Amino acid sequence: MIDLLDLPALRMAWLNLRRNTLRTGLATLGIVIGVVAIAAIGITGTALQYGATQELGGLSNTVTVFPGEENADNVITDAQVDSIERVATGAVVAPQRSDTMEVASRSERRQVTVEAVSRPAALYDAAEGTIPSPMRSGVLLNADLADELGVELGQTVSVGGRSYRIIAILDEPGGFGQGVSVVIPLDDIDQNGYDQVTVVAEDGDAAQRLAEEIPAEVNQREEVVDTFTPADIQESVSGFFATLNAALLGVGSISLVVAGVSILNVMLMSVIERQAEIGVFRAVGIRRREVMRMVVAEATLLGVVGGIIGVVLSVLIGYAVNSLLNGQPMLVFQPRNLEFLALGFGFAVLASTLSGVYPAWKASTANPVEVLRG
Amino acid sequence: MTDRPHDAAEAEDGATASPERAAGHVAELDGVTREYRSGGETIAALADVNFAVDPGEMVAVIGPSGSGKSTLLNVLGLLDVPTAGTVRLDGDDVTDYDDEARTMARRRTIGFVFQSFHLVPMLTAVENVLVPTMFVDGDQRPRARDLLERVGLGDRLDHRPDQLSGGQRQRVAIARALVNEPRLLLADEPTGNLDRDTGRNILDEFERISAEEEVGVVAVTHDELVTEFTDRTVELIDGVIQ
Repeated sequence: MIDLLDLPALRMAWLNLRRNTLRTGLATLGIVIGVVAIAAIGITGTALQYGATQELGGLSNTVTVFPGEENADNVITDAQVDSIERVATGAVVAPQRSDTMEVASRSERRQVTVEAVSRPAALYDAAEGTIPSPMRSGVLLNADLADELGVELGQTVSVGGRSYRIIAILDEPGGFGQGVSVVIPLDDIDQNGYDQVTVVAEDGDAAQRLAEEIPAEVNQREEVVDTFTPADIQESVSGFFATLNAALLGVGSISLVVAGVSILNVMLMSVIERQAEIGVFRAVGIRRREVMRMVVAEATLLGVVGGIIGVVLSVLIGYAVNSLLNGQPMLVFQPRNLEFLALGFGFAVLASTLSGVYPAWKASTANPVEVLRG
Repeated sequence: MTDRPHDAAEAEDGATASPERAAGHVAELDGVTREYRSGGETIAALADVNFAVDPGEMVAVIGPSGSGKSTLLNVLGLLDVPTAGTVRLDGDDVTDYDDEARTMARRRTIGFVFQSFHLVPMLTAVENVLVPTMFVDGDQRPRARDLLERVGLGDRLDHRPDQLSGGQRQRVAIARALVNEPRLLLADEPTGNLDRDTGRNILDEFERISAEEEVGVVAVTHDELVTEFTDRTVELIDGVIQ
């Protein structure tokens, strides 16, 4: 063990730490707790944020345009859809109508909200079958509703008295306000204008931009349309988690500072106990700065050992948390988490090293004369 | 040796009086006074002391408690700084050395043996011997082993202090004091914690070292036994050499 650590200061530090294993263990425990407080909390925050983002994920690039407060007819007209298309160049613009209708199979019937869309492929994913674009016939059913009605892909259901063949079962996790049960071709709900228009943009940023540009273009004098984008929610969710994480990291940092103070205390005690020995070191020609190096190395070693244990524990905790929350344990190794681990470890080593400085200075001023008297 | 100049001018005079001798001394105190302040009172632990050790010479310093023996040893060992007077080590005036320079001078030239051995408990005999060379480049292990063999501990190289008897510990301490090939060996009550036979063995060791290695040995002691082995005995009373 001694030959492994060839540097004299480190070697002495290692031996000194092994002298009182209980005390060393407790001081290390403080550091471990501090590192876990920083790293595991950071990783858990990332996991929660990842989970929340996944919930919103498929929708975060969409903008929903709906009739505004000053829209007398409470519909969006073809002209307005044209305006939207002008603004949203490159994006898919899908006007929608919706109505409450009865959906029935041979054995069951349900009153549900039915969506009528010309290009549902841009909005929804199919679990079974394929969604044609544009869709001119047939019906798309949510998997839950298909279950309740006891129907399968290719069978027939009646929607509002008309009979449709099921051409796809939808794979919709059902996020914010987007729970969809039944989708039929746009023209099958017969009304003037549209209830809402969904614009699918390239990404969340584009969606947020369109959410502002569309009303600016369409609303000339009165607020005839309004917009909503989950990208806004996602941004505030991200902001919320950033704040939460910062606060928790602050708490974690405090616990590391506390651990640092306990190391200061432990080192000070141990240095005072070893005053005679250090005095002899000084007498036989070990310089002040060499004594300091030994003691600082001891404190740093505490930080490194505690840091390593803390990092390992944090990875295990992160593994468990990610597997519980997201079902993807390996997410613990994403770059952001590695940053948290590095931050925890770095702070642990820094805090312990700094805590060693004063005891080291104290030790280096030990007066050899006092020892010779004993 | 016992003439006592009364001020610095005379002390300087004393130094210039015998330059050819000074060159030969391992260590020399020239008109050294060391005063301590205690409760508004000034106590002279050493008053105008002139003292010198030659290579290969073994000197005992005796005297009652509080006579300034330890202070003499501390000043010789560059652990304490005199209030007045000059300290020379191997002919160099080291009186005004700062802490760093004094430490390096100790590392190069001086070996210490203490009454209560002061070995590091978690280190083996060899490692204890190596302590003074810890921050010095180069592998001193062979020399440490050799020294331990010479003090009769060839079969105890990897024992820790708690596995050694008092006499064996003091031998380890002596080997430690010699590892840096010192010119001056300072011993504070080296037999104080040992029984008579063991003490005798240790003193034999000192005698041998002083003769074979041309090392000047100064032993501060209460123990009459020590004086049987030394070339010269100096008595100190109230900080004054008799």
